[in-house]
Formats: sequence, structure tokens, C-alpha cells
Amino acid sequence: MEDYIIEMLHITKEFPGIIANDDITLKLKKGEIHALLGENGAGKSTLMSVLFGLYQAEKGEIRKNGNVVKINNPNDANDLGIGMVHQHFKLVEIFTVLENIILGVEPNKMGFLQRKKAREKIIKLSEQYGLKVDPDALIENISVGMQQRVEILKMLYRENEILIFDEPTAVLTPQEIDELMEIMRGFAREGKSILFITHKLNEIIAVADRCTVLRKGRLIGTVDIKDTTREELSRMMVGRDVLLKVDKKDAKPGNVVLSVRNITVPSKTHKNNAVKNVTFNVRAGEIVCLAGIDGNGQSEFIQALTGLERTSSGSISLCGRDITKAPIRSRSKAGMSHIPEDRQKHGLILDYSLEQNLVLQRYWQPEFQSHGFIKNREVRDYAEKLIEQYDVRSGQGPVTTVRSMSGGNQQKAILAREIDKEHELLIAVQPTRGLDVGAIEYIHKQLVARRDAGKAVLLMSLELEEVMNVSDRILVMYEGEIVGEFDPKAVTVQELGLYMSGAKRQMAKEIEHAVV
Amino acid sequence: MQSFDIGKITKNKGFSAFTAALLAIFLGLVFGFIIMLAASPENSIPGFQMVLLGGLERLGDVFYFATPILMTGLAVGFAFKMGLFNIGASGQYTMGMYFALYVGFMWDLPAGLRWIACVIAGMLGGLLWGLIPGIFKALLNVNEVITSIMFNYIGMYLVDMLIQSNARMFVTTMNRTAYLPDAAKLPGLGIPNSSVNVSIIIAMAIAIILYIVLNKTTFGYELKATGYNKHASTYAGMNGKRNVILTMAIAGAMAGFGGAFAILAPSAISGSSMTYEPINVIAVNGFNGIAVALLGNSSPIGIIFSALFVSYIQRGGTLASLFGFKPEIIDVVIAVIIYFSAFAMFMNSVVVKLFKKRSKKEEV
Amino acid sequence: MDTLYYLIQNTLPVAIPLLLVALGGMFSERSGVINIALEGIMLFGAFFGCLFVYFIKGIPIDVQIILLLAMAVAAVSGLLYSMLLSFAAVNMKADQTITGTALNMLIPAAILLFAKMFFNSDGITTDVNFYIKKVPGLGDIPVLGNLFFQNTYITVYIGILFLIIATVIFYKTKFGLRLRSCGEHPHAADSVGINVYVMRHAGVGISGILGGIGGFFYAVGIMNSNINGHTGVAGFGFLALAVMIFGQWKPLKILLASLFFAFLRTLAYSISLIPFLEALDINQTYYKMLPYLATMVVLAFTSKKSRAPKAEGIPYDMSAR
Repeated sequence: MEDYIIEMLHITKEFPGIIANDDITLKLKKGEIHALLGENGAGKSTLMSVLFGLYQAEKGEIRKNGNVVKINNPNDANDLGIGMVHQHFKLVEIFTVLENIILGVEPNKMGFLQRKKAREKIIKLSEQYGLKVDPDALIENISVGMQQRVEILKMLYRENEILIFDEPTAVLTPQEIDELMEIMRGFAREGKSILFITHKLNEIIAVADRCTVLRKGRLIGTVDIKDTTREELSRMMVGRDVLLKVDKKDAKPGNVVLSVRNITVPSKTHKNNAVKNVTFNVRAGEIVCLAGIDGNGQSEFIQALTGLERTSSGSISLCGRDITKAPIRSRSKAGMSHIPEDRQKHGLILDYSLEQNLVLQRYWQPEFQSHGFIKNREVRDYAEKLIEQYDVRSGQGPVTTVRSMSGGNQQKAILAREIDKEHELLIAVQPTRGLDVGAIEYIHKQLVARRDAGKAVLLMSLELEEVMNVSDRILVMYEGEIVGEFDPKAVTVQELGLYMSGAKRQMAKEIEHAVV
Repeated sequence: MQSFDIGKITKNKGFSAFTAALLAIFLGLVFGFIIMLAASPENSIPGFQMVLLGGLERLGDVFYFATPILMTGLAVGFAFKMGLFNIGASGQYTMGMYFALYVGFMWDLPAGLRWIACVIAGMLGGLLWGLIPGIFKALLNVNEVITSIMFNYIGMYLVDMLIQSNARMFVTTMNRTAYLPDAAKLPGLGIPNSSVNVSIIIAMAIAIILYIVLNKTTFGYELKATGYNKHASTYAGMNGKRNVILTMAIAGAMAGFGGAFAILAPSAISGSSMTYEPINVIAVNGFNGIAVALLGNSSPIGIIFSALFVSYIQRGGTLASLFGFKPEIIDVVIAVIIYFSAFAMFMNSVVVKLFKKRSKKEEV
Repeated sequence: MDTLYYLIQNTLPVAIPLLLVALGGMFSERSGVINIALEGIMLFGAFFGCLFVYFIKGIPIDVQIILLLAMAVAAVSGLLYSMLLSFAAVNMKADQTITGTALNMLIPAAILLFAKMFFNSDGITTDVNFYIKKVPGLGDIPVLGNLFFQNTYITVYIGILFLIIATVIFYKTKFGLRLRSCGEHPHAADSVGINVYVMRHAGVGISGILGGIGGFFYAVGIMNSNINGHTGVAGFGFLALAVMIFGQWKPLKILLASLFFAFLRTLAYSISLIPFLEALDINQTYYKMLPYLATMVVLAFTSKKSRAPKAEGIPYDMSAR
């Protein structure tokens, strides 16, 4: 009999219309780091939410130290010593670090908060584990890395012994990731047990003892890390050998399509500029990738470029036309297509039908309206053409409400709309986020096809693998500045990581030829 | 096969909105009955019967009183489509009345044109009062709910003051406005024992025009897109600020029409017209428009029917006074209907969501 | 100097209802529920408070005790009425603005209905005067006594007491911390085991209590303890919302904002006493519009940087976490 601290046995969790977890068993040993691996939508987060009491499973049971337990809410989980760092931090922005840590387990006397007592305990913990925080700082004023430390301190403050980390590295620099790994190892040495959700194989190899793999809601297996390889884990995760390389010929860059000069964008959340003095060109027939760790000004830059936000200085020109201050519609007319970062927030009107969404950028053109009246016949024909051409699948074709479509097909609809619209520059922002491997491959192929058709493509991506495989040229952004320019064939991921984390940077002169 | 059925149900959004409205009405009437029971048990049954059926005896009046709330219903519903809550229909309605009265009393126009000019003036008055919250929202980012409420009060005080200080309009001894000249009154439809007039026909025509604007034009496409998802409409290059101002202005114009139709109507006393009494009270027809819009699911066509319904039970409520009940009973019922329609929509959405999640599984 | 005393003495009884109701709005909104129903809650509290006074006024007890008892009645009725809002907003995930509007419409109509049927009038007329000419002892202090302890109502002191209690609860207790977390980030609150529904019910409930009391104090301080269905509380519930926004959802700033608005209103109704304004000979109605116009001006200037509770108005769905 092995000594398991937590056993999740035959867990089944259904949502209306989808089985998120189908008969999954996961056993966690005391003092181990156990990775939970799977693609987006594989059911990892659901499984952990069941353990943390946010969801109740329809079937199966959970045992702690061999005894069956019922976890109906996060309080139950906490009483059992289970803590969780959520992928999207659950921190109240206008509260201080201290208030966030004690929220829910406030030390109090007759209901009055005992802040002093809390502060002493927090300072002690933060010294003991090397998690430096300022208890009085407001969450909205501290860095993402610091916010994660607050989340970890929340668990330590509650004296949890089973720690769940949900995709903790997505927002961290490579150096911060190393630190986090060290902290996790420290916890394990102390006898705490760790569940580590991720889809990054390197991190699993680096830190985990065992790994459980999920795919499409099913359990594929649990393996010892020392007995396995990256390739095998990858196969288990996606169910086949992944085509790691995107098939493409060398780029033949032509004329400059997009020219960005000294762009500066003020930040909405802090007093500094989010984007500082950025200058580069994108030419016809090349894919330029804007790489970097989340939160280094890429999103703000794209928003300024596409007209959603304002720049404070600098100029942008598209096909020789100055569009620095142009409204969004004029940019679109000038040849800009934009696959937005958040497809549900910006890219689609979920309560509109598919056909209405497909003409979102074109409904005002003479082809689709006359004297202000929409030509329904033409809209329908056009939608049917795009649906066919880009294989957008939906329940009822053009009249399907987009809300009811899968994420992959929603993204395909946006892609079809933006590609089919007349354009010289295609801006694609994290176009594959949250999609499965099939959809990712499809989108990568389409981006390369645009390039081969002589269009300029600007890709913003947080996934280094995507950056390396798809692009012809890489620009690394760090704290709002471009700190390096690379040929993907002549650089390693490790090297890029150093630039992305600010450890290295090229001189302005070296980047200069980005402008040529 | 299953996906076919789901398709039918989700396509029939209008149908489920209809059932939700029926549910809200049912609950509202039940509540009204309970109140009548509490107030006067022995009269409650005949009184309630009167509420339900009394309108049949006064069909002309049903149409007559439906007109203003049909317009305020459109004022609220149209803005709703863009995600704006126009609680200011009241002030816009009052402004509409004032502008219509002003032109009616002060401008000497040829007979055939006079009432038309009054109606247009009323529309402009409402438009102006809708425009202001629109500008505050679009340019200064002030929530339209607060602005409209404040402008309800400002409009009401302003109109009361302007009327009281105008000797041609105001009869001090009656504390009311005088009767309008005949040419300024809306032409009647010649139905005996009823003041029903041409305005109901105009109102329905306007509703149909709005329906066309919302569903067939690029402006309607933009307006609804903004209502569903403001961020996406910006992304698509729609001019959100202009559309907010335009929508509020149109909504205000609707309420302005309502005010004009109400005040320019011939009244039950032969040869007279409706009058305005400046007593510092906010016009209740603006708020009734909220009920009308909710029951009509904000659709212009639905609003025609819901306005007729609300007017119908109001007539019944008035007649219930024969049994000692006060007409306010219907205001209570309407408030309760609004309360319940706020969650009837929720219950609906739960059902729809459930079906949509099902159908999500179907594809891929 | 007498004019100034008069203005201050008259400002306070007007400021207190605004203050209490705005504090109530603060509790509700910072728990995450937009409370546009404050107007209706006020009227509901005022109605039952006055009804209580009406029935008890013959009994020989001290008039200030009657006021305190009626205040308790108003608080309980406000609480009960606010539960209609929290039920709809929290349990039924209803649109909070629409629900609030319905509740605002219901009460005037119900009062008119009942008052017409049972009192044959538009409301309740008690004509009980809770006015205090001079507080013994304190009223004799020079200047301060004139400003705060003469020609006043006990409501002023109760209001200040409530302000202190509310501020302490809001910032110094576990309950206050939890309540504020629900209006900002209910998911975070939920993930640390706080019951968001309970906190939101509590927030709305407190707004009901304070709204009911505020409504009754309005009737006492402004309407001579009468109330009717036509004028109701004359938009004070809505003004309180504006006060709350102007006060940035924070207790002490709300105090300042309510004093500001109350002063404007007092000024508007005291034109004839102020020679300078009287001489301008402007129609009084302009002054009546003043508080509403001032609200618009203030909002126009503050709204760009005002920071509403992040999660307000968004129903929290525990099943969709």
C-alpha cells in the first residue's frame, strides 16, 4: 500500500452538453510534486476545481489519507488543508496585500480585525520562505510576480499542506519561473504535497516527480518523470505526434507595408508609459512576430496600432498613409485586418448570427448595403461562401448564434472575415490561444498562406514555440521597449528567454536594421 | 435530429420572451387580486372581474390611452436595444407636452398645419431632453440612468415654471392650462363615445418604422451590435459616441411624441382638450413606458401590443372604482409586473442557455 | 450671523437623511448590488414610521421617545422592503436597475391606494412636531451651541452616531472587509469561502435599514412628519445616489457631499431670507432645480475618475464559477 494523501477516484463531472471529466483517477503522494498535463479544454482545471470544492462531481469520491471526504465548497477544502493558486489570481485589487491574505480567515476579536497579529504572522512566513512582500502595498500597484507571491502566502497563512498551482508560470519571466520551481521544491522537501497544472513539458521535466495526463476529459495515464521523455508526454497529451515545424518556404520580403516610428503609449494602470519609443517596419511577404512575456506592453502596443487606444507620441503609417490618429474604420479601409486578442470581447458579437458577424467589418460597404438598408441576400450569399471556404462549422449555418459555436470555430469565423476583407497588413494577436492542436495547425497554415500571397503579417504571441515556428523575424518586447531583433533560424529559445526577461538587450544600432 | 429541435427553440427567442411576459403579467394580476382581497374582501371578486374585463366596454378609450404609453414604451425599448436604460422618458414626455402646448398656443398657423406643427414641436422637445443624457453619456461618461433621473426633475420643474409664468397658456384660477384652439387638437377618428384620434395610427406607424430601422438598416445593425457588445462594436470601427447620442435623441423624440399625443388629444368633455396641471409631479406615463417596453421585449411590434394591454387593464382599473377600489391599484399591478419581468427574463435565459450548451456539443 | 445660523440649522436636518441613505447605498453597492430602489425604500420607511406615529400620538409619552420608536419601525420596514431587491438581484439574478425602478414605482401607488381607501387622503398627516428649540446646556455654548444645538432635531445626532458606527463596521471589522471584497471581486471572495450571496443580502439589508430610517428622518425634518404618495420623498433617494457617487463610495466623503447638497437645497428654499439673493428676483423654481443641476455638474466633472465598485450590478452566479 502506497501512502497517498489525496486520492480522487473515478471522478466524473458533466456540464450541460459536455463531459469535462470522465472517470478520472488521480492519486497524490505526500511530499511529491505531481504535474497535471493536458491541452486547453482537457479538463485539468475542472478536476482541480472539484478538489477545491468549487464544483461537485456527479460520480466518484475523494479520499484524504484513505478516508472518504466531502468537499462542498472552498471552506471544506481549506479545512482539509487544500489550497490553490488560481490561474487568474483571485485578489481584490483595491485591498492591501495583508487584507488579501487574511480575507476569509481574518484574525479577529468580536468581529474586529486584528491587523497587528496578522502582520506578524505574514512577515514571519514571508521571511521563512523567502517570499518578499510589502503587507501594506495595494495589489493594483504591485507586479504580477509579487501578486503570485501573495497567492502563495495565502495558502501558507492557512497552513495548507496540499498546494494546487493552476498554470502558475504563464505570467512569469524565465527567471521568475526558476524561482517558483525552487520554492515548489522547498515545499515538497518540507512534506507539503503539490499539484502542478501546466501544458509546458519543460517545466514538468524540471520539477515534477510524477505526471498525470488528461486528454478531452479522459485520463490517459500517470507516469514517473524519471521513466519518460518529452516526446512521450507530448504524444500522451495530444494523442499523436505533433507536427512541430510549420511547413514553409523562405520569406521574400517586398515593400514596407507598416512603418512604426517612435511610438509611445501611456499606461492605464500605472504612471509609466506602457510602450516606449517603439520603431520597426513590417514588409510585404514576411511574418514579423512580436514576442515577450505577458504584460510587457505588447497588448497596449497592438491596441494603439489598431486604434483602440491612443498614442502619446510617434507615428504609424500603413502603405505610405499616415494613420497615427486615424479612427478605426479608416485604418480598416487603409488595409488593416485585425484578429483581436480577446475574440469574445472584441472579435465577435456573440448574440449575433454567424452571417451578421461575418460582415462585421464590411456591412457598410456598397456590396452589402444601399441607402442605409442592409442587403440580406448578399450577406447570406457571402456568409455561405466564407463558411464553405474556411470550413466554419456551426449548428445551423449562417443563422447560427455565434455564442453557441465552439472556440475553434469562432476563431475560424474571425479569421475568415479578416482574411477575406481586402487588406495589406494582417495583425494576429495570440490567434491560437485556447485552441486545440488541429485548429492551431490550421491557423498557422493560413498565416503562412497570407504571407505567401504577398501580405504583411504581424503576429503577437506569448508561446515561444509558435514564435519560433511561424515567424520570419522576431522582435522581443520588454517593459514596453523592443530589446532585440532575431532571425528565428539563428537563435535559440534560451537566448530569446534572456531578452524577454530583460537579462540581455541589443544596442539600438543592432536593432536599427529592423527599420530598413 | 435533436439539434433540429434545439434550433427551433433557440430561433424562437421571441416566443419565449412572450411566455415570460405572460408569466409576469399573471403574477402581477395575482398580486393585484391579493391587494384587493386585503382591502375589501366582499368586493374583490367583482372588482377584479372589472379589472380584467372592464376594458372591453371602453375599447375606444383603450386605444386612446394606449397612444402615449406606446410612445414612451418605444422611448425606453429603443434605448434598451443599445443597452441604455432610458429612465428619463418621463422628463422627455413632459418636455414634449410643453413644446406642443407652446406651439399650440403661441403660433398662429393655418388650420391643417397647426396640429402637425404641434406634434413636431413636441417631438423636438423630447428629442432635446433625450439628447442631453446622450451627450453626458457619450462625451463625459456619466451613467445615463442618473442623468435621466436628474433631468426628469429638472424638466418637470422647468415646465411647471414656464407654464405658470405664461399668461396665454395658464389659467391661474384653475391652476391648469387653458383649452387649446381647435386647430391645434388632434383630429378625432369619429368613433362615438370615444376621444380616440389620429395619434394611435401615427404611433403604430412610427413603431413599424422603428422596427424597420432596427432590423433592416445599417444603423439598426450598429445599434444592436453596440447593445450586445460595446467593445466589439468599437473594434469594428462603429462610432459609438455618435450612436449613443443618436439613440438617446431618437428615444427622447419618441417620448416627446407621446407627450404631444397626450396633451393635444381631444378630451371627453366635448370641444375641450387635455390640460396640464403644474403640481411638481413627475409624469407617470414615462415610467409606465418601462413596463410597456419590458413586456414587449423591447421590440417595436411587441410594444404595440403591450401598450394596448397595459391601457386595457388601466381602463379596467378605473372602472373598478365602481366597487370602491382606487385606480392606483393598476399602478401597483404594473410595478409588480415590471418587478417580475426582471426575473422572468432570467428564467428564460437559464432555459435558453441550457439549450445552447446542449447544441454546443452537437457541432465540432 | 443669524442668517448663517439659520442656514446651518436648517441644512443639518436635510443633510442627515441624505447622509444615511447614501451610506446605505454605499453598503449595497460595495457589496455589489446597485440600489436604485433607495427612493422607494425611503418612502416605505417614511410611510410606516409616520403610520406608527399616527397611531401612537395620542399616548402620553415623550415625543422624542416616539421618534425613536418610529425610527425602529422605519428601519424594520426598510429592511423588509429591501429584501425584495436582494431576492431579485441576488437569488434571481434580475437586472438590478429594472428591479429598483419597479420598487420605486410600487410604493407611491400603494400609498395612494391605501391612503385613499382608509384615510381618504393622499398620505398620512400626523402633524406631530419633533422639533427641539434648544438642547439643555449644550444649546447655551456660544456659536457652537447656536450652530448645532438650537432649532434642531434629535435626528441630527442619531445620524452622526450612525455615520460613526457605519464607518467602523466598514473599515475595522471582518464583516466590512468581506462585504467590500464581494463588490470588487466576488470570485476572490468565493474562493476563500465567503458566501457572496449572504454578503450581498447583508449589504442590501443594511441599505434597507438606513434607507428606511433616512426616509423617516426626511419626513420628520422636512415634511413635519407627514408623508404622501404624490410628492413622496421628492427624489431624495436619487440625490442620495448622486451623493454616494460624489462621495466616491467612502463614508467621510459621503458626509461632505451630503452637507454640500443639503446646503444647496436649504439655500434654494431660503431665498426670501437672504437679501442678496432675494434682490436678484429670480424665479424660485430655478433654485428648486439647483440640487439636480448641481448633481449633473458634479458628475460631469467627477465621473471620468470615479471608481465604482468593480463588480456592482453584475449578478454573481455561484454555479458558473
